[in-house]
Amino acid sequence: MTMAENGAVKVAINDLSFFYGEMQALKKITLSLRRNKVTAFIGPSGCGKSTLLRVLNRIYEIYPNQRATGEVLMDGENILSPRQDLNLLRAKVGMVFQKPTPFPMSIFDNIAFGLQLYDRLPRSELEGRVETALKRAALWDEVKDKLHQSGNSLSGGQQQRLCIARSVATKPELILLDEPCSALDPISTAKIEELIAELSQDYTITIVTHNMQQASRVSDFTAFMFLGELIEFGETEKIFTTPTKKRTEDYITGRFG
Amino acid sequence: MNQGRYLRRRIRNLVFLSLSVLATGFGLAWLVAVLGTLLYEGFSGLNFQLFAEMTPPPGEDGGLLNAIVGSLMMNLIAVAVGTPIGILAGTYLAEYGRYSRVAFVIRFVNDILLSAPSIVLGLFIYVAVVLPMGHFSAWAGAAVLGTIVIPVVVRTTENMLLLIPNTLREAGVALGAPRWHVIRHITWRAAQAGIVTGALLAIARISGETAPLLFTALNNQFWSLDPNAPIASLPVVIFQFAISPYEDWQRLAWSGALLITLAVLALSITARLLESPQERK
Repeated sequence: MTMAENGAVKVAINDLSFFYGEMQALKKITLSLRRNKVTAFIGPSGCGKSTLLRVLNRIYEIYPNQRATGEVLMDGENILSPRQDLNLLRAKVGMVFQKPTPFPMSIFDNIAFGLQLYDRLPRSELEGRVETALKRAALWDEVKDKLHQSGNSLSGGQQQRLCIARSVATKPELILLDEPCSALDPISTAKIEELIAELSQDYTITIVTHNMQQASRVSDFTAFMFLGELIEFGETEKIFTTPTKKRTEDYITGRFG
Repeated sequence: MNQGRYLRRRIRNLVFLSLSVLATGFGLAWLVAVLGTLLYEGFSGLNFQLFAEMTPPPGEDGGLLNAIVGSLMMNLIAVAVGTPIGILAGTYLAEYGRYSRVAFVIRFVNDILLSAPSIVLGLFIYVAVVLPMGHFSAWAGAAVLGTIVIPVVVRTTENMLLLIPNTLREAGVALGAPRWHVIRHITWRAAQAGIVTGALLAIARISGETAPLLFTALNNQFWSLDPNAPIASLPVVIFQFAISPYEDWQRLAWSGALLITLAVLALSITARLLESPQERK
């Protein structure tokens, strides 16, 4: 199977460069994210993989002196355009962070927060959507009797699944996962990986990870980055079995990084 | 092991330990003495009359009602006006203007205000409010207390918001929530206990302010609820009565001092309780 046959392009990144002030963190990145596929970004710390993720919902805009140049086309529209409405973009792109970030409110309200931003839902529908989201994140059975307890009362793994539920509740088109398992134990990690596999049926997913096995387990495509450059990009199986670049091979076999 | 060295260390440890304990004891002893005297002198005058009657002329029976009400009134106005301004300004500094030059200047000026002697603020209000109005008033007293409240609340609000990890803001923003929505529903809520604590500490701070009230609210022997007229307040009455030669006035001053101390104590305890993290069920 060639890449072209492997689903349509959801996001096309062309010549993307990124700057933190004077420091260039991404150098002319070009790659595409395919619809309903999982794309993993791997590489040593500081290689720019998280930065790349943060461009996709322009979350970097809340800090001064950070800017991106180039083109990121989502369904053909350049999201880097100054005319792009940032809140609408972010409503379409869900994000889950390295550390769980439950909001200081009840489990129910954590999910309802995003749902109520753009829709005025009747109570019964709101409850239904919250339940669906929690079920999707495989958390419903654990929390259904304590929906009105604080989100902070959950364990780390549950909090992370709550955050995943929160971002899928609004039915985003693209989900960004920034090392979602790095703060979790192996059992919680396994649960989240299962979840990713399941979610990829309906969503386009990108995941940044330090864990090579995780990348090979959950992703369809892998991008290997080094010092702000995209070294190699392709189907995960190929990257992990027959990488074309020496540096990729060194990294995935653990010779550096 | 070198036995002599070990022994020297133990002796040195003992000496330093004793010195610290002595210093702590010395400091605490004065504190206990102050509180003890206050409790002893204050409690003997604590009775129902205190809350029911006006400040008396020398030689007659009376209470502190007008002073208590005057203090409450001015504190209430100062806090009602100062806290929202302080919280909004602190929010600007921590959220919107965190990296801007304007915020840097505001922060600097606020820190100066924070440590400015209150009598200087009193003088300012005297010139800015009392002179144009032509007379002393509760408004002027409340204004000066407000100018003390604002910098305290600005500082604590900013500090508390800065403690909230950025990832929480990012998580809110990443859902497509506008910045103000994230602040109102997420960061404020996360910093709630700290912000309320700041407001309580500001109240505690103004409860004992005397100097700036002397030439803004002045004092009033009689019952008054008119914010345009001079008004009595506990600290000023304490000051006036304590330096008087009349024994009954002095006793009232002690009781007033006890009232303020108890009020501040209650505020501090509440603030402390709020500070300790607790899960809301």
